[in-house]
Order: sequence, then structure tokens, then C-alpha cells
Amino acid sequence: MRRLTWFNTTSLTLGFVFLYLPMVILIIFSFNESKLVTVWAGFSTKWYGEVIRNEAFLSAAWVTLRVAVVSSTIATVLGTMAAYVLVRAGRFKGRTLFSGMIYAPLVMPEVITGLSLLLLFIGIGLDRGIFTIILAHTTFSMCYVSVVVSSRLVSFDQSLEEAALDLGCTPMESFRLVTLPIIAPAVISGWLLAFTLSLDDLVIASFTAGPSATTLPIKIWSSIRLGVSPEINALSTLMIGVVTVGVITASIISKRATLRQQAEERAADQP
Amino acid sequence: MNQTVFAPWEDPAAKPLIQFKNVTKRYGDFTAIDNQSFDIYEQEFFALLGPSGCGKTTMMRMLAGFETPTEGTILLGGEDIAPIPPNKRAVNMMFQSYALFPHLSIWENIAFGLRRDKKPNDEIQARVEEMLKLTRLTQFAKRKPHQISGGQRQRVALARSLAKAPKLLLLDEPLGALDAKLRQDTQFELMDIQEKTGTTFVIVTHDQEEAMTVASRVAVMDHGQIIQAAPPAQIYEAPNSVYVADFIGDVTIIEGAVTAKDNGYDIAFAEGQSVYAESTLNLTNGQTGYIAIRPEKVAISSEKPERVRNAVQGKIIDIAYLGNLSTYYVELPNGQTVKSQTANTRRLSRRSFTWEDEVWLSWTDTAGILLER
Repeated sequence: MRRLTWFNTTSLTLGFVFLYLPMVILIIFSFNESKLVTVWAGFSTKWYGEVIRNEAFLSAAWVTLRVAVVSSTIATVLGTMAAYVLVRAGRFKGRTLFSGMIYAPLVMPEVITGLSLLLLFIGIGLDRGIFTIILAHTTFSMCYVSVVVSSRLVSFDQSLEEAALDLGCTPMESFRLVTLPIIAPAVISGWLLAFTLSLDDLVIASFTAGPSATTLPIKIWSSIRLGVSPEINALSTLMIGVVTVGVITASIISKRATLRQQAEERAADQP
Repeated sequence: MNQTVFAPWEDPAAKPLIQFKNVTKRYGDFTAIDNQSFDIYEQEFFALLGPSGCGKTTMMRMLAGFETPTEGTILLGGEDIAPIPPNKRAVNMMFQSYALFPHLSIWENIAFGLRRDKKPNDEIQARVEEMLKLTRLTQFAKRKPHQISGGQRQRVALARSLAKAPKLLLLDEPLGALDAKLRQDTQFELMDIQEKTGTTFVIVTHDQEEAMTVASRVAVMDHGQIIQAAPPAQIYEAPNSVYVADFIGDVTIIEGAVTAKDNGYDIAFAEGQSVYAESTLNLTNGQTGYIAIRPEKVAISSEKPERVRNAVQGKIIDIAYLGNLSTYYVELPNGQTVKSQTANTRRLSRRSFTWEDEVWLSWTDTAGILLER
């Protein structure tokens, strides 16, 4: 163990304060009795009650949840397929170009992604609503899924699939019975990543949402333009909770999978 | 006693199980298999032996169906297998990495292939139990592959590939991952199982000892071609080329111009010096010939032996002591090194020869094999 020097301690503290102080303040003030956001007037959970009774928030939350579940599921299917082809197809012409194009949306400014999707939807005459948000979220979260899944597939022993074929599987069966169960942890953490990304996306959603469908981040954004209310603090705290649970679950799943794999490799080394 | 020797390759009436007919496999400009034709017979234990990159794995993968020949046909039981996908072939393969399914138990691994055939449950049950018993794995049935040892994993892979009772079993370096001691035991076990099940085995290996031990015939490969395919004893005692002689076991090669004499040839390897070997080859005088002599067939002595045609004098430059055997590297005046191997029947302290000793090496007229190339 390396000792924590005063320098290390200070940098650690500064770093974490920088990252989490705003959120901590938000969470503390969500329990504020007062209607004034910045003046502490005692502990209360009444704003949480207000959030739960607010129809507009609830319907926005319901839209957000549906968008997140559907888009992350589609993104997981498409992203896994893309990862599989890019890892397995070997060196076909334009492979580098394709894999580059898969990763490009990761670094593309969201504003540009949102704007181009908006232009596309207007161009093909698609009414903006929940469906267009799902399409948009699928588009950008698919890349994340494909990155997560392909990193698992790279270390996947291809002879396992050959063995399945050799024992009488069709290529589809070999994927379903052998490949998928083995890469499942990566697929699940890819799904969770896509889910949380969709849950808190504001920029792309505001480009592609219509009057018929508003997501929670858009709702929050539009209501704080009228002034920050403690209600928003409570709502944000709830969202922080959901996202935290999602991220922690995803990392636990992938951590466990790595540990198990390491244990298997260790066991394999022993004669 | 009138015991029939297992040698279907010498019987013109025998029908081969596998026939390669002018098979060529190319990857771009690289020719992995170069116009090969040969037969493998039922119940054979056929070894493909060669250095890495010689094409032996490609041969096997073409039999399994993971590769298709660029030219030529492969027949299995008289039927062209090119259009049959791997999952429809009566061929199973044991992979070098074993490729056990890590998410399934040993039992489920072995049952995997049977399940794909939609066999009734009790039949699967019985077959898996039989395979577990054959490979002595019954007590590990419920474990996962990562909970058993390397040797046990090797047996699971074997049981899984044998479970469907294939006509042909392919083994890709099956013992490569085992340590030397376990390897030896497993070789005999493999032969035992092959005999019990009567399955035709094709094994790919780069380990010549392994090939010699298990196989009924060994095919020595180099650069996409089978140089010689013959029973182990013939490969060792009567190699058809310098490549095979050199690849299998230890050998001394002496090169020189030949002159016909008696039932063989004199090979002049140095000024005024020649050795003699009996041979049925038909060579013209003055042509270059090669004599391959196994070290254990060369006697070493301090005095010139009498009445032996092949006797040369030299100096010991190296001794490889292997415990049971010692190999002496003797340098002749012309720089040629000849190896002589003797069993160490005496304790080391009483050994007769040491470094720098002048010794005589001798061998019989039939000990050396004359080769053209």
C-alpha cells in the first residue's frame, strides 16, 4: 500500500469536491422546507410529494422511461450486430472506414447529431414525437453498445463457435447457444449504458421531440427558465438516484464477468 | 499363427474412407496445400506431421468443413463433401484449445452435439454416461470446465467429440497443452479409446514422438505436400528423402558422389574416403547421393574394428548425456560430424570415452540408407 501524502489527499479532495459539490448542494436543497432555493429553512420531504403529484412531470417521466427502454433495446441489438461483424468479418475492403464510422458519433457534437436528425425527419415528413426521439436515441447509443460488446468479442475464442458448428449447430444456433451466453455480461452492460444515456439526454431529445412528447430533461430545462424551484431539485435528485443505480449495476456486472474470466484463465493455467 | 496385420493401404481391394483427389488450397498467392492425392482408410489412426505452416492444419480444417479446397475434391465414404456444411458432416473435431463451452457443465458439454440431433432424452442420458465412463470423468459431470484440470479438460473435449459417434474424428494437436508426463499416459489412452470405438482418427501434430507412438500411418508434410506417408517404423527405418530422415529422429547425413559396387553404392564423401551402403536405388555413377545413418546404429570403439567395411576415424567434439543414453559427436578429418549413440549400461565414472578422444566409428552395410534427394 502506498501512503497517502498530504499532496495526494489534497488533490483527491479537490477533485471530488469539484465533481460532486454541485450535486451534493442540489440534493441537500431538495430537502429544503422553504420555497426559496438558496435559503435553508429546515428539513422537509414535501417537494418530493409535489413532484409525485405533478401530472406534467409524471407524463414526461413516463415518456422518458419508454424512450429509454425501447431505444436502448434496439441499440443493443444493432450495436451487438455491428460489433460482431466488425470483429468477425476479418479484413474486408473498407473495414477501417466502417469501424471508424461506428465510433465517430461518440465524438460528434450532440448539437450536430440532433440538428441532422431534425433535418432528416423534416425531410422525410416524419411527425416529431416519441417515435422520433426513440430513433434518435437508438442512433447515438448504438455506438456505445458496439464499443462495449466489441471489446468483449475481441477476446472471445473463435474456436468455441467452430466447435458448436462442428457439433451440429447452424450458425444461428451457435450464436444463440454459445456466443450470446458468453458475451451476455457485455451485452447487458451495453444496454444499461444506452439506457442511462437516453435517460438524461437533453440536446438530441430537444431537437427531435415534438409537442406531443416531452422527456423529463426537456421538462426540467423548460421549467427552470421560469426560475429554479425546490421541486426541480427533488426531481433531479430522483434522476441522479436512477442513473447512479444504473451505472453501478453496469459496472458490477462487467467487473464480475472480468473476475470470473480471470478465475477461469487462472484455472486453465494449472495442469 | 496367422495374424492379419492392419494395413489396408497395402490391400488394393480396400475401400478408403477419405480420398483426397488433387486437392489444392490457396490463400491469395500463398499455396497452403499443393495438389495432394491420398487415401485414409477406416479405423486408421492417421497422423499429419510437420513443422508449423506446412499445411497440416489446413488439411484438417478442410475435412471438418471450415475451409473448402480451391481445386480438387475430398470424398468421405465415396461422397464429395465440399457442399456439406460442417454441422451436417459425420465428422467431429477435437480442438487444440479444447473449445469447451465455459457456461455449460461437463455433462452438458458432452450432451451438446446429441441435443442438436434431437435425440430422445433417455438416449442422450445413456450416451453421455457411456462417454463419461469411457473417459473416466463420471465424478466430474456436474462441474464447469474451469473447475477441472487440464488433463481432465482434454478428456472432456475427447468425450464431446466422440459422443456423436462420428465416422471420422479429427484431433488438432490434442496433447499440446499437457505436460510431458501426462502426455505419455494420454497417448496410450487415446490409442485405447480409438481401438475400443473403432473410429477413424486423423491427428495433427508437430511432435514426431507423439505421431510415432499413436499412429498407424504417419504423413510427413512440408510446404503443402505430403513427402511420405507410411507406418512409423517405415518412416524411421526407410525414409524416402533427406527431409523425412532429418525430420524424424536423430540422423547423420553424409553426402558424396556414388559408385555402384556389389549390391549397393560407395559414396565418396572426402578425398580418398568412402562409405558403403546397400541399396536398390538405380543411380548413375558420379551422381550425388546421401546416406542417412541413425546414431544408434553406429558403434564407437577405440581400436579399428575388423572385417567391417564402414569404419571411419575421428575425434569426439561433444557428448550429449541423456541419462540412459549418450550421443557422441565425432568430427572426421574432413569436418563431417557423425553421431553415435550408446546405451549407458555402465555408471558414468567408468565410461570409456571423453572429449578429444580419437575413436573409430563403424556400421554395417545395411545400416545406412541411400537417398537420392
